Amino acid sequence: MSGRLKLFWRLMVKPLGREPVRTTLTIAAVALGVAVVLAMDLAGDAATGSFHSSLETLSGQQDFEITAAGGVPEEIVGKLAELPYDWRITPRIEGFALVADSKRALPLVGLDLIGVAGRIPLPLTKPEALDKIFDANQSSFEDLAKQDSVWVGQSLNKTCGDALELLVNDRALTFTVRGVYPDDAGTGSAILMDMAVAQAALGITGRVDRIFIRIPRGATNSLDEWQRRAQQVLPQGVQLRAAGASTDENRKMLAAFRWNLRLLSYIALIVGAFLIYNTISVSVVRRRAEIGIARAFGASRLQVLLAFLLEAAVIGGAGALLGVPLGRFLATSAVKLMGNTVNALYLSSRPGEITLDPTSAFLAFFTGLFVTLVSAWSPAREAATSAPVEAMARGRVEHSVRVNKTLALGGAAALALLAAAMSRLPPVGGKPAFGYCAALLLVAASVIAIPAFTDAIMRISSRIFSRLLGVEVLLASRSLAGSLRRTSTLVAALSTAVAMMTAVGIMVGSFRQTVVLWMASELPADLYLRPAGSPATDQHPTISLGFSDQLAKLPGVLAIQRLRGYEISYEGKPATLASVELDDSHIEHSSDFLSGSSAESVLAELREKNAVIVSEPFSYKHGVRRRDIIQLALGESRATFRVADVYYDYASERGMILMDRNVLLNYLPDPAPSNIAVFISPGANPANVRAEIERAADRASARILVFANSDLRMQAVQIFDRTFAITYALEAIAVFVAIMGVAGALLALVIDRRRELGLLRYLGASSGQLRKMILAEAGLLGLLSNIAGLCLGIFLSLILIFVINKQSFGWTIRLHWPIAVILSGTSLIWLATVLAGWYPARIAVRLNPVEVIHED
Amino acid sequence: MALVELRNVIKDYDSNGEKIRALGGVSLAIEPGEFVAIVGRSGCGKSTLLNLAGAMDFPTGGEVLIDGQITSAAGDSTLTELRREKVGFVFQSFQLLHTLSAVENVELPLLLAGRDSARQTAADRLSAVELAGLENRMPHQLSGGQMQRVGIARALVHSPKILLADEPTGNLDNTTGARIMELLVRLTRENQTATLMATHSPEAAAVADVVVTMRDGKVVDIKRK
Repeated sequence: MSGRLKLFWRLMVKPLGREPVRTTLTIAAVALGVAVVLAMDLAGDAATGSFHSSLETLSGQQDFEITAAGGVPEEIVGKLAELPYDWRITPRIEGFALVADSKRALPLVGLDLIGVAGRIPLPLTKPEALDKIFDANQSSFEDLAKQDSVWVGQSLNKTCGDALELLVNDRALTFTVRGVYPDDAGTGSAILMDMAVAQAALGITGRVDRIFIRIPRGATNSLDEWQRRAQQVLPQGVQLRAAGASTDENRKMLAAFRWNLRLLSYIALIVGAFLIYNTISVSVVRRRAEIGIARAFGASRLQVLLAFLLEAAVIGGAGALLGVPLGRFLATSAVKLMGNTVNALYLSSRPGEITLDPTSAFLAFFTGLFVTLVSAWSPAREAATSAPVEAMARGRVEHSVRVNKTLALGGAAALALLAAAMSRLPPVGGKPAFGYCAALLLVAASVIAIPAFTDAIMRISSRIFSRLLGVEVLLASRSLAGSLRRTSTLVAALSTAVAMMTAVGIMVGSFRQTVVLWMASELPADLYLRPAGSPATDQHPTISLGFSDQLAKLPGVLAIQRLRGYEISYEGKPATLASVELDDSHIEHSSDFLSGSSAESVLAELREKNAVIVSEPFSYKHGVRRRDIIQLALGESRATFRVADVYYDYASERGMILMDRNVLLNYLPDPAPSNIAVFISPGANPANVRAEIERAADRASARILVFANSDLRMQAVQIFDRTFAITYALEAIAVFVAIMGVAGALLALVIDRRRELGLLRYLGASSGQLRKMILAEAGLLGLLSNIAGLCLGIFLSLILIFVINKQSFGWTIRLHWPIAVILSGTSLIWLATVLAGWYPARIAVRLNPVEVIHED
Repeated sequence: MALVELRNVIKDYDSNGEKIRALGGVSLAIEPGEFVAIVGRSGCGKSTLLNLAGAMDFPTGGEVLIDGQITSAAGDSTLTELRREKVGFVFQSFQLLHTLSAVENVELPLLLAGRDSARQTAADRLSAVELAGLENRMPHQLSGGQMQRVGIARALVHSPKILLADEPTGNLDNTTGARIMELLVRLTRENQTATLMATHSPEAAAVADVVVTMRDGKVVDIKRK
């Protein structure tokens, strides 16, 4: 080891071991920060990258895909095949089924198994998987044509010959397992059947969901030329796109969601950065004399700077190293929470495998180290630039921040104004970049203002506190004001965490209240029916028309309203096309429109003209406004519709186009509804009507679920709460990191002020009074942070609600103050902060006053 | 009756497993209004003796009595009470709290003891040490002599029966030191406190009623005026 390294080890690294608790807390703060960032990244990849796992991998390598709203006419397969090209045409049926015994929802895929046997383009997650399907030991070629044959993934724990009951739409169907293939523990699992069998199961006639085209390898013509060749046989409404385009659309749709979560995950690391800054500042203050001596004996400024940066690197490096495996561990929990959100708001997805590759690990480690070094730069530079004499003279006295209140508050006001200006700017590339900048500027403004704020509050309140709560609180407040830099850094760290918690709390609380109010107007029916099976925003299983007709005639039923949904692609983005019955005079409509128009007038326009209404997220994503004209590819044709209005909708972020049922039936003639709303006659007993419906369903062998209005609302709120669970988890970690920082900093404060604590014992302070003093310091830090955090949080919430949310998702959220939630959150944080002072207080009480008073 | 009495007091310290004897059988008694100076080289046990006399530490052997109460038999809360009521400390490096003003430093022992009208008493004590008008100055706005006066006012604010001063002029120039000594003597007489002062300074020791010379933890000489 070289002399310099030895010196660095002795002077900088070894002292870290003398305060193991504090060093551990700082390392743990960095580790948690890095872990959260990495966990969100890994979980994001697994949760949002997995939606293609079954359907996409089952397609193998393809060049084009053909789709249409409501399905592609089957004859197009023949037309394409008749064209004189050596391309491979693979039609496919796509749906979802619920495995009856395990209640697991899986993609149901129908392929022309007989036609493609022996040349299936390696459809499953492992190339050899399909061979197993046709393995003579497992199943015979004749099985392919049988009407009850299915092939399933290993994760279903089925063997050949087993019966498999599936809920498909509103039917329970029994199949026989003919083959089992490896499916990577379920991530690539799907139920595979022959196309004709799948069509029968899903109730599809004359249509397929997708046609893949694979052009011959080595073909010299350009892709455009092949596209033109295929296009010539396609009707207007049928879309031909590069294979995987829908997956790309989905990925883009999820980008904003992932982006917001990723940014949220950085909060813990930012809070950790404040704590690193504080740790290195304390280290510089404690070593002032040593710095002076070292400089006097020839150490250069660069060497001093490097010494402190390296000290930070040791802490940051250790934290980042620990953070990587911890992040991998946290990702397991995070992926479940993220998966819930993706399923509730976007599309059916099962989380894929979490993969920690060297690049992700290195990036996370480097991020932690980089943040550490940036945080340490300012105190390290201060140590390097102070003159040797000054450093020695000032000894170990805590140097105070010279607070130029006017300058600090002026700077903070300027940053706040800049933030206000930025919040007015439009998104960049669909991302609320200026919104994020505005939020960061507000945090920066708060950080700049905090020393002045802390100083003012402490000076004004110390006498009041001491009168009310005793001399210990006076000493605590003076001590905090006396070490303003340290106090301000801690308040900045904790208040940032509190602010984010407050902002997200207000945003989520407002959103929740908005959704609750919206549901009250949008869910007017008494009962709601949907096919049994897992609910998902991008799946529209159907209820048989016959059963829905029976429903309307049941005693106690005043009216029914049928809704049908289709997944479509509009201008390269996924959207939902839906139709609803509007012609029943018994039904009172109460939708809320952006224009403020009455529901009656807008719906009258829908009934009479080729008009649609679109949801707010759709309007925002596509820039479609009231009175605009939009073109929709429906079945084989393209039709033009007038946008009658834009309505508030919080059911999905996908964006929705809604039209009258009769209009849509002109284009997509499948009359089976996806959902049915039932209005009960006045005076009829809802429980009796519900029982009547369930009996009718049994008679018709229809597997449906019936929800009372209140159940549906409650379920929606539960889904909502689950959706935001991950946000709260991220906030909690950031707050936890900040509180760890408070504990560490108080420990440092006790050690640095041990002589003062000893003196108080000489002056008659009891051990209880010392304990109270340290706990009071912790309590005051918590109080200051909560006040600053609440103020900042309220402003941040406005940016979150009106800028970031609006530009990311297009929702109008009505501001609501969840006072109880915020108050209980801040109270809990305050209590945790006080508890964080417990160990430092214990250390303070155990100090030997005689030893510490004579140290100098 | 002696306010402070040390009876054959022994004090050992443990240093890396090795026993070091700081006091080796010291006996001493100080009466009310008596000014005692302890002199001797560094490390002879002066500060240890002061800490034992102020109930800040326990003897390894022998007994320390403060106003008749044996310290080693008392618990933490009793000793705290004893210090609050009967003992005042003056330190060489003043030991003022830099975050408190002069008057706040002085009133601190009263506030810690939960006494009423602390501010007025503290202001009176500052007047007594000739610092009237400087009540709201912060320590860094005071000279060394003024800081030590604040330290003395603080030590006497609760009217203790015993005043313990550890090198009170050690950080002061001769003139200021002499004025501080005059002040200590005057207050000892006025308040009838038993004052025990550790010092290196012959000038400071000269004003004392009794000069106790220590060497290697033992009293080697006691001179009374």
